[in-house]
Amino acid sequence: MFKIIKYDFLKKYKLLLITIISSVLLNLFLVVKLGVSGSISFLAFFPMAMIFLYIGDIIKMYSDDLNKKSGYMLFMTSNSGYKIIVSKVVTAILEGLSILLLYMIFIIINSIYISTAQGFELNVNIAEVINAVNLVLSGNLGFNLGHVFVFLLTAFVVAINFILTAYTAITIRKSLFSEVKLGGFLSFVIFVGLNWATSFTTGKLTSVVSPYYDNVTNFGNIISATELVMILLPVVILSAIESVIMIIGSGYLLEKKINL
Amino acid sequence: MTQILEINNLTKKYYNKVALEDINLSFERGKIYGLMGPNGSGKTTLMKVIIGLHKQTSGSILIDGNPLSYKTKANVSYMPTENFLYDNFKVKDVVKFYEDMYSDFKTEYVLQILKDINVDTEFRVSKLSSGLVGKLKVALALSRDVDIYMLDEPLNGVDVLARDVIMDIIVKSHNENKTFIISSHLVSETEKVLDSVVFLKEGRLELSGDAEELRQQHGLSIENLYKEVYK
Repeated sequence: MFKIIKYDFLKKYKLLLITIISSVLLNLFLVVKLGVSGSISFLAFFPMAMIFLYIGDIIKMYSDDLNKKSGYMLFMTSNSGYKIIVSKVVTAILEGLSILLLYMIFIIINSIYISTAQGFELNVNIAEVINAVNLVLSGNLGFNLGHVFVFLLTAFVVAINFILTAYTAITIRKSLFSEVKLGGFLSFVIFVGLNWATSFTTGKLTSVVSPYYDNVTNFGNIISATELVMILLPVVILSAIESVIMIIGSGYLLEKKINL
Repeated sequence: MTQILEINNLTKKYYNKVALEDINLSFERGKIYGLMGPNGSGKTTLMKVIIGLHKQTSGSILIDGNPLSYKTKANVSYMPTENFLYDNFKVKDVVKFYEDMYSDFKTEYVLQILKDINVDTEFRVSKLSSGLVGKLKVALALSRDVDIYMLDEPLNGVDVLARDVIMDIIVKSHNENKTFIISSHLVSETEKVLDSVVFLKEGRLELSGDAEELRQQHGLSIENLYKEVYK
């Protein structure tokens, strides 16, 4: 599995390098041209641009292996379908985390710049910062860092679920419907269908498991952080189960039904 | 000789087109087979089904007694006719890929072949001519230590001198345990090394047998027999 991931990164390292260099240059340009507002604009613009590039890239990574002749390189090796799909998802996760790390670095650098430019004194103590964040969250919003952890975990599991939905759609198209024309459009239709099915299932089952679910679907109601966590935890568990089912399904199709 | 590859009632359909129809074949260990037929006769489809890149519509394939699976791929080295190599890799990166992915890959051997056929390992695949890509693909496929080698048009786009080198490498790589299946339009250049031939016509098995016996039976060389079958 490690080798498949290694070669996926080797195939795209130039693209990642270009993304990093152009992001640094754009940040510098905006800071030099607009100062503090440029720096803030960059921090606002970067995640929006990256999310599109990232989703496009991870879908292309898998789609190319199933639709282009270069996919033979991977599919001629004696790796099982399960190993291939898991490797692709791990590569996508690692790529996402790398982008997140890059954004964190930009946040730190730009925050230092903004603070310095506005005359604040920089004396950062991590423990104090965490304490302060916790105090603000619990004081004004009724949150604590435990809640934040559940939110992040939910975002992580739902992101994996999303990636797997896209990969499963492409796999179904190249196996069960490999002989149907309009491949790209068909993959999209399957993706929309799968997405609806997983969202519907998660929503229905969460409403059964969690008594708080109906409160949050009524937009007028304000619910506490603890109630929200009680909703998110079943979402995490259900999304994880759906992801495992999609891995098993895609792995089976890659191994038994694929037509490259 | 023992069977290494057995194909039973194999059929492959695309849309409504039948690419292979009820193929029954067995390949013996240690022989060199010529897979003959014009474009669209089903040669490439047959090879792709054997390596698992395409799924058959019906029928079964056994490799060394085992049904097709990702595990049987470990015993088959396939050279597709298309350029399937990663474009942005250098030749040495592709060699490293094979070394990492195939435990039976002989790195020293491939480097020697690449030297013999004048392929620079520092070149990027996207910068190679189609002839050099052809040579590289053959070198990579023949540098694995497996029971079955399938070469789809190994002489396509390769210059006359390099063709002799490639045929020479095939003969040298061959031994009593290794089976070669070679598809080629250049019948005259492959004929001299073939033990057996399989003629496919419009997805069906038209004729197959020992090359020498077919020559004697029909009083024709394999090249002329090819012309006779497909005229």
